[in-house]
Amino acid sequence: MGQHRQISIIRFAQAILLLAVMLATQVARAELLIRITEGADSAVPVAVVPFATSGTMPPGNNISRIVRDDLTMSGEFRPLQPDKMLSLPATGADVHFRDWRMLGQRFVLVGQAERQGDRITAQYELFDVNQERRILGETASASVNSVRSLAHHISDKVYEAITGVPGAFSTRLAYVTLQQVGGEPQYRLQVSDVDGKRARIRLESREPILSPSWSPDGKKLAYVSFETGKPAIFIHELASGERTLLAEFRGLNSAPAWSPDGRSMLLTLSRDGNAEVYRMDLATRELTRLTNHWAIDTEGTWDPDGEGIYFTSDRSGGPQIYHKQGPRSEAERITFDGRYNARPRADSEGKYIYYVHQRDGGFHIARQNLDTGEQSTLTRTGADESPSLSPNGRMLIYATRENGRSVLTVISADGGAAYSLPAAEGDVRDPAWSPILR
Amino acid sequence: MVADIALSPFITNPENLEEEMMMKTMSRKGLFALAMSLGLIAGCSSTGETMEEGQAGAAGAESGEQSGSTVYGGGAEDGISSSAMSESGRQQAEAAARQAEQQAMREITTFYFDFDTSEIKPEAREVLIAHAMFLKANPGRNVRLEGHADERGTKEYNLALGDRRASAVERFLIVNGASRGQIETISYGEEKPAVMGSNESAWAQNRRVELVFE
Amino acid sequence: MLHGVIVLAVMVGWTFSPIQEPEPRSISARLISPQPVPTPEVEPEKDRQEEERQRQADEQRRQEEQRRLEQKKAKEEEVRRREEERKRQEAEAARKREEQRVREQEAARKKAEAEAKERARQQADEERRRQEAARKAEEEKRRQEEAERRRREAEAQARREREEAERKRREREQRLREQQLEALAEQAREAEQAEARRQQEAAAARAREARMASESEKFQALIRERLSQAWYPPSSATENMTARLRITLLPTGELSSVELLEGSGNAAFDNSALSAVRSLRRYPVPDDRDTFETYFRRFTIEFNPRTLPR
Repeated sequence: MGQHRQISIIRFAQAILLLAVMLATQVARAELLIRITEGADSAVPVAVVPFATSGTMPPGNNISRIVRDDLTMSGEFRPLQPDKMLSLPATGADVHFRDWRMLGQRFVLVGQAERQGDRITAQYELFDVNQERRILGETASASVNSVRSLAHHISDKVYEAITGVPGAFSTRLAYVTLQQVGGEPQYRLQVSDVDGKRARIRLESREPILSPSWSPDGKKLAYVSFETGKPAIFIHELASGERTLLAEFRGLNSAPAWSPDGRSMLLTLSRDGNAEVYRMDLATRELTRLTNHWAIDTEGTWDPDGEGIYFTSDRSGGPQIYHKQGPRSEAERITFDGRYNARPRADSEGKYIYYVHQRDGGFHIARQNLDTGEQSTLTRTGADESPSLSPNGRMLIYATRENGRSVLTVISADGGAAYSLPAAEGDVRDPAWSPILR
Repeated sequence: MVADIALSPFITNPENLEEEMMMKTMSRKGLFALAMSLGLIAGCSSTGETMEEGQAGAAGAESGEQSGSTVYGGGAEDGISSSAMSESGRQQAEAAARQAEQQAMREITTFYFDFDTSEIKPEAREVLIAHAMFLKANPGRNVRLEGHADERGTKEYNLALGDRRASAVERFLIVNGASRGQIETISYGEEKPAVMGSNESAWAQNRRVELVFE
Repeated sequence: MLHGVIVLAVMVGWTFSPIQEPEPRSISARLISPQPVPTPEVEPEKDRQEEERQRQADEQRRQEEQRRLEQKKAKEEEVRRREEERKRQEAEAARKREEQRVREQEAARKKAEAEAKERARQQADEERRRQEAARKAEEEKRRQEEAERRRREAEAQARREREEAERKRREREQRLREQQLEALAEQAREAEQAEARRQQEAAAARAREARMASESEKFQALIRERLSQAWYPPSSATENMTARLRITLLPTGELSSVELLEGSGNAAFDNSALSAVRSLRRYPVPDDRDTFETYFRRFTIEFNPRTLPR
């Protein structure tokens, strides 16, 4: 009660003070106003101090290092190399803000990890250096086998605390690798952490595997496989490895895309003469033809609301992106800049579409603001394909060529610094970013 | 041949002019050598109709009949023995020569395309007609048309593009005498390049339809 | 005016007074009427006692008898005497009438004389009165004229005095006015000088302000640049987000305080702005103290990503 009263008195005093300030401001000349409309054109400097550890840690799974790599990958952060740090505090009490300020750091993450039996507990704190304020503090634990998950969890928390957007470091990637084994091509469908680690092969084939697409619950993948000698679409349940053949029509069977509600799938089939986009009801297998044009219509993808679709069509001469609200509505052309714009992916807010855009002979990932129609090219590499957006809409993974091989690269969704995933043997391609996994 | 390519009447989309010219220039060396070795130069004078998309089937049918009748008439290898003995040995020799020529032409099973198109090039027409003739003459034989695209552009679009290229060839064959039941199409998109490499030469050789007889 | 009225009243009185004077003739007629003669009277005595009164009554009756005899005799006497008297009286009356007539003649003569005399006297009086009146009128006139003169003189005097007073007043006023005018002129001069001075100062101030403003612009641009480099808008930032901060600097350019005036509704965004503002160890500020105080002692910074980075 007394405290309540005290607070109200303080409030009153604040109000008076505010009033006085306002009056004084009005009497005085118009105060100088400086507008900052542009930010730094670089990533946020952040120091991830190596965690203090007690007990034996599983080798190769340094938590702070995983966090550092995650933050680097996001393209939004520029972690300080540990050898440049003046001190290695493990708790907030040991953080000397002046030092970190001098190093130009904005945030400092400190922590310690302790092993108890087969569990590892991490205690960590995040500080705003300039404001000298703790903005995050948590204790989290995981089994020894899941240290990487623990680290990615910390990355997610740190990312959210600084950017205001949930992190997507605990999600997964599906992609296809291609290697020549004994002169024979070896296609492998793999699923890994977003940093490419903990990859597991889900399907192996001498024939092409293409276009993995996640179910909205993150439990299944749909993809195109030529394992039968013809293209066919399968649904693959990841936990059990159980597979279902979904489509094996005459001609094309390609570009599966799960609807947001998980109940239907977009497919491209040419069974009626040429490539058209169809919707298949997954329960009944009933097909609805969504496009109908003598030109190529393919690469269907859903609106974030699951109502309309974006797709690629060359009805105007070259591939361009179109939007169609329903089977009978008119297709509306979305892209106009350049003669090759294809394979759209819409973000979850319906604000942007991301796609492959040809410019100056090279193929890049571009995005268009659907409100303004403004297009920006996000990548500087030249043979870029298969953009896939992270579920928080902040990162984008795509395939590009590096030294004659296909590799995966992550950028921030607005085109920030590129981070190449560690390349395996051969080509890595067709990345698909999973939804948030629960 | 060179002049024909340079003045290619197939360019229907002025937007693609430059690119197509480039493609042709880059790919013509290999094709030219191939055509030369097979005595295909005569084939270069084929009709220069355009295959507008959407009319592709109709145009193909029309031109197929036209070219079929003009170039090859109703004549077939089988009918030769039943012709009158009064015909001179010159005719026999001619037929034999034509048969040899057709067989030689059928050695060509790969047909190339310009970037982002599925138009059958004029120099490929004679060869494809020879294949159609063969299929018509051999109803028991089947062929698989494998459509391919170069690595540029998106995988799914390239699958569709390979599919459309295969379909274009399929229609051409049917129009020229083959039956639908003999033909199977499959598109590999950019998955099975004929030539590795990221250059114009490799790309030109990878944009193709391959005929695989079983 | 009053004088006029007085003069007029005097003149009227003087003109009509003789007419109101009464004639003296009736007075003399009253004088000749005869005086009445009083007759003596005896009072009968009253009885004091009864017997007295009886005896007295007897006495009285005898006396009365006697008196009646006497009276009879007296009466006879009286008649004869009265006759005589009447004869004498007649003679007397005739004589008296004669006398009267003579007296009347005399009286008439005397009266005529008196009247003539009176008339003469009256005429003389009249004349005298007239003369007197004329004199008086003359005198009055003179008096009045004198009064008038005096009055006029007094008036003139008064007028002169008034005029003098007026003149003096005017002079005074004039003097006052001149003084005031002078003062006004002085004031105007001073005002003019002040205005000139003020304008000069204003021009100088403007020049100074312009200098300060351009100086300020320069430093504003520097601050803007430094802050733009120091600001890392979070990925959740949108063009619609604005954070307004008030910062207070020391003349050295060091940050004294920062206050979030208006948040964006996004904590990460507000934090990025606060962090940016606090990250500058020293703000670029002008050495000129006035410019500093005018612009940079306290100002507002608005963070709004009009163009998102990259």
